Amino acid sequence: MTRAYAPSDAGGPHPHLSLDIEKRVHAFSLHVRLEAGPGVLVLFGASGAGKTTVLNTIAGLARPDRGEILVNGRVFFRRGRPPSPVDLPARLRRVGYVMQDYALFPHMTAAENIAFALRNTADRETKARALLDRVSMAHLADRRPHQLSGGQQQRVAIARALAGDTHVLLLDEPFAAVDAPVRERLQRDLRALQRELDLIVLLVTHRLEDAFAVGDRIAVLHAGRIQQEGPIEDVFRRPASRGVAEIMGIGNLVHARVADVGPVTTLDWDGLRLEAPADPSLTPGASITAHIRPDDVKIVYPDRPAGPQVSHNVLDAVIVGVRQSANARILRVRLPNGHDIEVRFPLLSYAPLSLEAGEPVRIALRREGIIALGSSADLRHGN
Amino acid sequence: MIGDALRLSLLVTVTATVVAGLFGLLLGRLLARQQFAGKTLLETAVLLPLVLPPSVIGYYLLIGMGNRSVLSWAGVDVLFTWPAAAIASAVVGLPLMVQASKAAIAGVNPTLENAARVMGAGEIEVFFRITLPLARRGILAGVLLAGARAFGEFGATLMVAGSIPGRTQTVPLAIYDAVQAGRTADANALVLLTTVLAFTSLLVVRLLEKQPERRDARSPRGETGGPA
Repeated sequence: MTRAYAPSDAGGPHPHLSLDIEKRVHAFSLHVRLEAGPGVLVLFGASGAGKTTVLNTIAGLARPDRGEILVNGRVFFRRGRPPSPVDLPARLRRVGYVMQDYALFPHMTAAENIAFALRNTADRETKARALLDRVSMAHLADRRPHQLSGGQQQRVAIARALAGDTHVLLLDEPFAAVDAPVRERLQRDLRALQRELDLIVLLVTHRLEDAFAVGDRIAVLHAGRIQQEGPIEDVFRRPASRGVAEIMGIGNLVHARVADVGPVTTLDWDGLRLEAPADPSLTPGASITAHIRPDDVKIVYPDRPAGPQVSHNVLDAVIVGVRQSANARILRVRLPNGHDIEVRFPLLSYAPLSLEAGEPVRIALRREGIIALGSSADLRHGN
Repeated sequence: MIGDALRLSLLVTVTATVVAGLFGLLLGRLLARQQFAGKTLLETAVLLPLVLPPSVIGYYLLIGMGNRSVLSWAGVDVLFTWPAAAIASAVVGLPLMVQASKAAIAGVNPTLENAARVMGAGEIEVFFRITLPLARRGILAGVLLAGARAFGEFGATLMVAGSIPGRTQTVPLAIYDAVQAGRTADANALVLLTTVLAFTSLLVVRLLEKQPERRDARSPRGETGGPA
């Protein structure tokens, strides 16, 4: 795609979006501050957290009560702060927006959908075909949306969103309506597109797998606030609070007492002794919440010598549940102290072992996988 | 005689349907998409001709068109001409058009309209290229209903246009006249014709309603309409 015009490039060499908004919706108050550059920023949270509203305020479909939204130095919205109020209508903002369920026009073909977004550009038809070609949909240009599969619809929606030569691409749960194998391809293609066009991509999802598959950074939204924002691995490995850990679906929370500090921290979790990495902020006797990363719980082969992966926190447990996600298997195991934790591993791992509910299993908790969480407010109460 | 009444009814009905269609569409969109103070009052007022006696509607129209009205001041004298009959027909057809187009427009997923706005479309383009094509079945049903109602208008027409053969005597008035004068053959022909027309309109409306609008992009229904 050639950029026919680039009105907002004056703001600097790199696309940049900054947003600081407040909005009350009934009894719910949204107060979100975000900065984003080229890359994929995942807005993560449960439904009702206000994720879609954030996208709508950027696109111009929802009006914040006050705040400021800037894209490449251009003011999209400003209210309640100097110099003057601005509220650019949606049609002048022209961000790319792939809405939930894609919102393709049902009375137009794929090509007509894209031609609509191209407005009065010369060679609209040719450009529409070129855009469809870029998402590998040229052969289905004359189909109506209801004649396309979920994945095909998503491709058309992305091509349509890119028609406005945008720097900002917003996507609202784009992978909700597609099956797992298709989803992986779409995710790869989206990543490639982002790099190629140097786009700021803001993607809303409530699924951790999607966040990991496409995200560079993640902003965890809960109760109308960003609870934590950062590189996705960091946020997942070090949730800033127990609330973030819970929102992220990190189930393995441990409420333990610090038994000993030193080169390693020893935790007492209802009678179970766990070794965790040294942490100077902990004092003996303190009660803390920690998180056991499900990926750092290893299963010990009964007939093999213990390697470095399985040298600490070796426990005999019983499998109480087995489930499977798109690319991982998750075991729920009961520990000797009566608590359950989740163990997560790639589908093909531990293939020789029979891992069925009811069977005993020996597990090892890697020290690095036991993370003492910050003492931030517990999100289940207050905030 | 019959030919005159038919020609006049056609003229009156088409004019009334166009007028009621345009105003009804605007009001329907307003009621379906906008929130404003007094919305319920406006909607009630628009529906009033459905339940008011024709003589009351006719009386209001007489006042509106009479020699002390704004129209009269402007030098327009429509009383006892076919335009008066058309206005009376439009007024009684309007509620049906408003109701149908309001429901049809409300049935269009607002997300699609928002998607068009984000792509740079202004309100007029959104209405004509997204809302209208997607609501076309319901709107067409409204046009047919309003047209059928306009064709059958009797009481208010009599009050504002009279029943002047060849000038203001539409089919319903001609039927009354024929019955009064004992011209049974004329009455029979016109009654049969009116019944067939009314039946056909309602049948088409029913068929339109049986296949509702495709509401969203993922509707699994087969292809129905032609290209918009």
